[in-house]
Amino acid sequence: MNSVVCVKQVPDTETLIKLNADGTGIETAGIKWIMNPFDEYAVEEAVRQKEKSGGAVTLVCLGPDQALDAIRSGLAMGADTAVHINDAEFAAKADPYATAVALAAAIKDLEYDAIFCGKQAVDDDAGQVASILGELLDLPVITIVIKFELSDDGKTAIVTREIEGGHAVIEVPLPAIFTAQKGLNEPRYASLPQIMKAKKKPVTVKTVADLGVSAEPMTVIKGMELPPERQAGKMIEGADAAAKAAALAKALHEEAEVI
Amino acid sequence: MPGAEITRELYWNVVGTGFPVARVLTYVFALIAIILFVLGLLRKGGLIDRIRMMKLATGPDVPRTDNAGERLKYAIAEVFGHRKILREPYQGIAHLFIFWGFIILFFGTFMDFFQGDVVEPLFHANILQGGFYLFFSFITDLGGILVIVGVIMFLIRRYVNRPKWLDDKPEDRIILWLILAIAVTGFLIEGLRLQATELQPGHPMNPYAWYSFGGHLFALPFSGMSIAAVKGLHQVIWWVHLFIVLGFIVYVAYSKLLHIFTVPANIYMRNMTENPAPLKPIPPESFETAETFGIHLLEEYSWKDLFDSEVCIRCGRCVAVCPSFLTDKPLLPRDVIQNIREHLEAKLKLALDADGKVHVIPEESYEGPGLIGDVIDKETIWACTTCMACIEACPAYISQFPKLIDLRRYLTMMESDFPAEVQEVFRGMENNSNPWNIGSHTRADWAKDLEVPLMSQKGEAEYLFYVGCAGAFDDLNKKAAISLAKIFNAAGLDYAILGTEEGCCGDSAKKIGNEYLFQMLAETNIEVFNGYKVKKIITLCPHGYNTLKYDYKEMGGDYEVYHYTEILNDLIKSGKITLKNPVGDLGTISYHDSCYLGRYNGIYEQPRNILNALGVGGLVEMASHHEKSFCCGAGGGRMWMEETLGTRINQKRTQEAIDAGVKTVCTACPFCYTMLTDGIKELGKGEEMQAFDIAQLVAKAAGLE
Ligand SMILES: Cc1cc2nc3c(=O)[nH]c(=O)nc-3n(C[C@H](O)[C@H](O)[C@H](O)COP(=O)(O)OP(=O)(O)OC[C@H]3O[C@@H](n4cnc5c(N)ncnc54)[C@H](O)[C@@H]3O)c2cc1C
Ligand code: SF4
Ligand code: SF4
Repeated sequence: MNSVVCVKQVPDTETLIKLNADGTGIETAGIKWIMNPFDEYAVEEAVRQKEKSGGAVTLVCLGPDQALDAIRSGLAMGADTAVHINDAEFAAKADPYATAVALAAAIKDLEYDAIFCGKQAVDDDAGQVASILGELLDLPVITIVIKFELSDDGKTAIVTREIEGGHAVIEVPLPAIFTAQKGLNEPRYASLPQIMKAKKKPVTVKTVADLGVSAEPMTVIKGMELPPERQAGKMIEGADAAAKAAALAKALHEEAEVI
Repeated sequence: MPGAEITRELYWNVVGTGFPVARVLTYVFALIAIILFVLGLLRKGGLIDRIRMMKLATGPDVPRTDNAGERLKYAIAEVFGHRKILREPYQGIAHLFIFWGFIILFFGTFMDFFQGDVVEPLFHANILQGGFYLFFSFITDLGGILVIVGVIMFLIRRYVNRPKWLDDKPEDRIILWLILAIAVTGFLIEGLRLQATELQPGHPMNPYAWYSFGGHLFALPFSGMSIAAVKGLHQVIWWVHLFIVLGFIVYVAYSKLLHIFTVPANIYMRNMTENPAPLKPIPPESFETAETFGIHLLEEYSWKDLFDSEVCIRCGRCVAVCPSFLTDKPLLPRDVIQNIREHLEAKLKLALDADGKVHVIPEESYEGPGLIGDVIDKETIWACTTCMACIEACPAYISQFPKLIDLRRYLTMMESDFPAEVQEVFRGMENNSNPWNIGSHTRADWAKDLEVPLMSQKGEAEYLFYVGCAGAFDDLNKKAAISLAKIFNAAGLDYAILGTEEGCCGDSAKKIGNEYLFQMLAETNIEVFNGYKVKKIITLCPHGYNTLKYDYKEMGGDYEVYHYTEILNDLIKSGKITLKNPVGDLGTISYHDSCYLGRYNGIYEQPRNILNALGVGGLVEMASHHEKSFCCGAGGGRMWMEETLGTRINQKRTQEAIDAGVKTVCTACPFCYTMLTDGIKELGKGEEMQAFDIAQLVAKAAGLE
């Protein structure tokens, strides 16, 4: 089974986020960048499927120069090749739609039976790209996948989705798009030889113009706000457990007014 | 010649007049024994073959033959002085007795030979007479008695005390009984001779018979026997004694008695680098070029690693102090070494071809047990805390745990096969340069409300205060970092911190086997240090201390590194800080030696001096302390791994504090502090006991809180 995996580079979840001057985005200097964690599940699944039944794994990534780090991480995990749509200007203002258009243009020339995405990117949390990609490529989209199995003839996939309070098992003809959820697998820690090999794996670099894409974003971010700073916690004092519990109840009732 | 009557007849009762048949036979038998001994060394799979197998090993090693003079001096002092062996007084004294007893007896036998076969035939003189003979008699008897006492002590340990870490193989018992038999038959010969000669009234030697006090004792049972019977028995036992001695010599080549030669050789070749437990170097450029990292094949070890397995006498001292073994985990450092030895012997069989040459076994064609998994279990490999107690305890100067780190390196870097919890730790170190994966921008937040100079503002400072991840991110240990900053400020120390420019030292990554990650972290730090022309560094954490001091040096970062206890000890001594304020009721205090301060770096007294300077309560030692201090369980990356096997190391250590009856346990290591704090809670002693980092107490006593 050949797979394409869409990987996005996002700021590390622990990194300090500051808004840029006009408040429509974040300050990108001095940020530690990582591969979107949900995309790691996607890469891992594609590589596991390759290890099981052969085929190749191609990564596709839209992002500036530094996004190459995320691509190399994915190659170190076992992907074979990558397409890097290196277009800082386009990437900076791309909304999920424009992103999906660019990805679709890069993917359409590739050979694939499955496209894996993360269920959402942890930066803007839109969760839309995979679905729009499905529309553009005219493929079925199965979201929030926690188990993936290829049928014996390799023509369909039997996947399990996480739904509120239970699971749904879905059979879908390939090719199709899947979005990976935590639990799908445990992404590997790339071994040193794999990291070294990844440095030599082929990465095709393309601009949006190379792909013949001229999509304008459909949405524009007008403003961003940081969440209010967390208030310092309050320690409940008391002579013993009972006294502390009483003080806590009082505080919840009178100060926080939640009970 | 005066005193010429004070002597004895050599070969008395054995060699008659005329042609000395027995004398010649003795030499013939001795020659045969020596030939058998040499054949034993040369036999298929014998010592020489094993050494040839060791020479196939490809792993790098530290220098072993530099400083010849110093090495020789040290080895002689250690071998004859038994310094390390005597650390266990019972076994030490027993071994010392046998060792010196044998040396004396060897000297005695040599004198007999020298007199009988050199001096007498060539010069017709007798040096074994008069006062010297009496001294000679006395001292050789003393030697024999020492041997017997030593052997009996060992026999009691082996048959009666039987500590659970003692290995017990047939050769262990055979050797003891052989030695006992040599000494006892020797004394019987002497006793029987005395009974037939000196002890007879009127014999010229009769007044001096007690110089041979050992033989005298052994003569007692025969006092009623006829002279003829005594002489007959004497002849029989003389030959029995000879054959046991010769058998013993042959047995050396086939048993752990080879340690008579291999242990002194190993002491001579001891690690003389500054780092007491160096790991194999992996040059940074090899990450790009080498095909494999760490060790998964026997032959990838260094020849010295393999020689270590030859030297191990299975004494079990390393087992007796191993925190993993003592908490019922499947790690016995001795067994690691012995398993390597057995593996070497098994592989040697395959490596020997028909004409007796030892050839390399190609990895593809080898189908026997694998080094990792079969020879040494993965559980064993991950159980080690790198506490170094094994190395410190080993009288044969074997380096045990670094051989496990070599295997971890293979598992981690080649297979990504490590305890699952560790992946997040690596990620944290990679993304935020700390094992907790807390945003690296918060590294200096602990110092927010303090006046702590930043290197980036100050530009230069005499000391870099390298806080380390625990002091910077862990709430419990931030207290120590804050205390130290306050103390340094009060003492007017010219220092600065790096703030968010500081990175993880990489100790855990290195000890878990991720040398690649370690070197990335180290390189980043070294670059920053050098950017500020750092020369002297104070660390809060002993792990950082050890890493910066030894490992960074190997990577070209050469600094004078101090642990804060060294600095505080000096500041107190020189009066730069005065400890006048009350520190509260600490009760009796114990100091817990951190492995990386104590065994690794010999910092035992500075922390104790500081505690004494507080002028509170009594400082009492726990059952294990100083060189034998018991690990807290967090070293070697174990801090970040679940402890699912056996019982918990930190609880065992905490129990020692409880048993010592102390109210306060002090440490100078963030890992130890965390482990002991947890141990106190886990054992339900939160009300009665407390743990402190020494820095906190000093700050309090200096009125800085
Ligand atoms: C990144 C991400 C984070 C999220 N986080 C949260 C969270 O924190 N908490 C939470 O509760 N949810 C969360 N969600 C779920 C999310 O709020 C809703 O599930 C999602 O908006 C529904 O969109 P859908 O594409 O699944 O549309 P659908 O399930 O198809 O429904 C969308 C809407 O379309 C219309 N519709 C669909 N089918 C019909 C029909 N048959 N007839 C009439 N109208 C119809 C309805 O108006 C419906 O509300 C998250 C989703 C994403 C992608
Ligand atoms: S370093 Fe410590 S834990 Fe590891 S084997 Fe040696 S004694 Fe045991
Ligand atoms: S390794 Fe050293 S301490 Fe351990 S059993 Fe062997 S000789 Fe004794």
